[in-house]
Amino acid sequence: MTAEAANTPVIAELPGDGSNTNLFGRVLEFCRLLKSAGLNVTSGRMVDVFRALNCVEVERRDDFRVALRVNLAASREEEEIFERVFEAFWEGDRGGDSAPVELHLEPSSDDRTPDVPETPPYVRGSPKQYARDEVLRDKDLAAQWPGELSGMKAILRELARRLATRPSRRFRAARRGRRIDLRRSMRKNVRYGMDVVELTRSQRRIRKTRLALLCDVSGSMDVYNPFLLRLMLGLQKGFKNSRTAVFSTRVTEITRALRRQSVHETLAEVGSLAKHWSGGTDIGAALANFNRGILREGSANSTVGIILSDGYDQGDPAIVRREMQALSRRTRAIVWINPLLGTEGYAPVAQGMRSALPYVDYFLPAYDLPTLRALCRTLGEV
Amino acid sequence: MSESNSAAMQAFSSVEAVQEAFARENFIADRPLALTVMLAARLEKPILLEGEAGVGKTEVAKVVARVLDTELVRLQCYEGLDAQSTIYEWNYAKQILAIRMAESAPQERAVLERSIFSDEFLLARPLLRAIRDSGGRPVTLLIDEIDRADEEFEAFLLEVLSDYQVTVPEIGTFTAKHRPFVVLTSNRTRELSDALKRRCLYLWIDYPTHAKEREIVMRKVPGIEQALADQIAGLMHTLREVDFYKRPGVAETLDWARALVGLNVSRVDPTTLEETAGCILKYKDDIERLRSIGPAKILSGDAGTNARP
Repeated sequence: MTAEAANTPVIAELPGDGSNTNLFGRVLEFCRLLKSAGLNVTSGRMVDVFRALNCVEVERRDDFRVALRVNLAASREEEEIFERVFEAFWEGDRGGDSAPVELHLEPSSDDRTPDVPETPPYVRGSPKQYARDEVLRDKDLAAQWPGELSGMKAILRELARRLATRPSRRFRAARRGRRIDLRRSMRKNVRYGMDVVELTRSQRRIRKTRLALLCDVSGSMDVYNPFLLRLMLGLQKGFKNSRTAVFSTRVTEITRALRRQSVHETLAEVGSLAKHWSGGTDIGAALANFNRGILREGSANSTVGIILSDGYDQGDPAIVRREMQALSRRTRAIVWINPLLGTEGYAPVAQGMRSALPYVDYFLPAYDLPTLRALCRTLGEV
Repeated sequence: MSESNSAAMQAFSSVEAVQEAFARENFIADRPLALTVMLAARLEKPILLEGEAGVGKTEVAKVVARVLDTELVRLQCYEGLDAQSTIYEWNYAKQILAIRMAESAPQERAVLERSIFSDEFLLARPLLRAIRDSGGRPVTLLIDEIDRADEEFEAFLLEVLSDYQVTVPEIGTFTAKHRPFVVLTSNRTRELSDALKRRCLYLWIDYPTHAKEREIVMRKVPGIEQALADQIAGLMHTLREVDFYKRPGVAETLDWARALVGLNVSRVDPTTLEETAGCILKYKDDIERLRSIGPAKILSGDAGTNARP
């Protein structure tokens, strides 16, 4: 079906008069523009666009728009970008002026259009709200990258092993399992003419723990960042289903960026995603986001929440308290890793920290490998 | 083009046809949604609906199945769902019985093997059912809350959705004679892979507008007064501006409207709102939140400016 459709000369079938080729060209141009605006416009998608246009009344502007959009945009953010590009491109079309449309989609660092969604859609409220002392800059993260820390990998692997202790509902084959695996036994014994000679057994799979990592990257944490980055990368690799978000005055999920193959790509993407790196801190709002977004669904029993922060907060302590309470209901345990803990003269007196502490199950330091190793031992018991 | 698909194409031949067909099933489809359904039928592409929980994404698939008068095969995704169990399983009990029977009437081993690993002993799970479309009719396949499943499952699904075929090693490969009408839904608790999204027509579904929600209430709740329906729709709009953990969806609207009709309420006052809050809000924290803002304030259309953290 698809192949057949791809072979049909779509251009010729476009309805209307001689302006068809014109429309064809304009749509192509529009696709290119979307591509430069960051949408993943593949040739397959473009073929589908023309197939779709065959089915709609292109004179109906809204139908035309939706037919293009459902094929070209693949998320709510992309829908928004699409709408903007569409307006700019086809609006200019009406005046008969074919001057190339200029787009200002990439905000320069000091001239940001506030409605460019760089936070996930579950981030409610105006981002301006806490932009007070937000420092938006394209941090050169690579410059801060000190290379792999040998030993960290082993520690994190050990941690992953220790945390995976929940029996799952699923089974896997096991020589000394308790349960007889009928399916496999049946397959195996066919060759003996259906006499049951060998039994295959199975036991419960061990369910992997999902980590939800919320990492403070505000100015006060800056010194520790290289270590943080490595920790985030390591945890993301070690726990496949885990999710990572960074926050200062707003929250950005960076899970996908952390999954990149090369560290340099990861760093570049994290840097461009989290433009609030080294800004102020609003723990309460960050937690609220976290609770409503990443943690909204999924089983609390298999989730361990990890917060990496020094607890210096500019927000409302009452909100921190409320959201910590909500977080504790959405996770099996809450681990707060505080890099300052253990430094001489530190006591958790920062207001955000104080209001969060009652809900924290493990309050631990981590700023280098030995403390991380100790942390891992403790976490093994979570 | 297969005849069954032309059935889908006939029912969904134009945007207006989709809207009318949906309206007959008491579902109000706005134009973008209707257009997307039409395109999905014509281009034979799956639809991916994303949106908050409770905006009626699942309902779209159900209505499509009713309109096309086909079976709705539903695959509910969850954490840890594995690919195998969504295709098929063998009916072990029946197989063992067959073996016992064979013992009394000996037959060749190969014959027995072939017979107990045949269609008769196969328990088709959703994906196989959707592809085998017994009875020669395509089905409507609903893959619900795909964001809950693991990424491995997503990759597997991608394979199924590109070839519309699955393999049972003992029997062979099943290929769909008619492509099922596929609807995927996601609450967007995580981002789906780009490859999967590229296969689909994407549509974000928002909460209904005030007017649309009133119409939904009027259609779905028999015997409700227009004034009450209007008030409910307005209140829901206000309530959704409050930063609750679980924002009330359309299902909650309908629950609440039915409760109010049952209670013979003709106009919501602060006491009624507080007493019936359990229909709308499902978390204790959220109900407390409502109390702290004040039902009277909500009734006046004010969600409280400090509602957002």
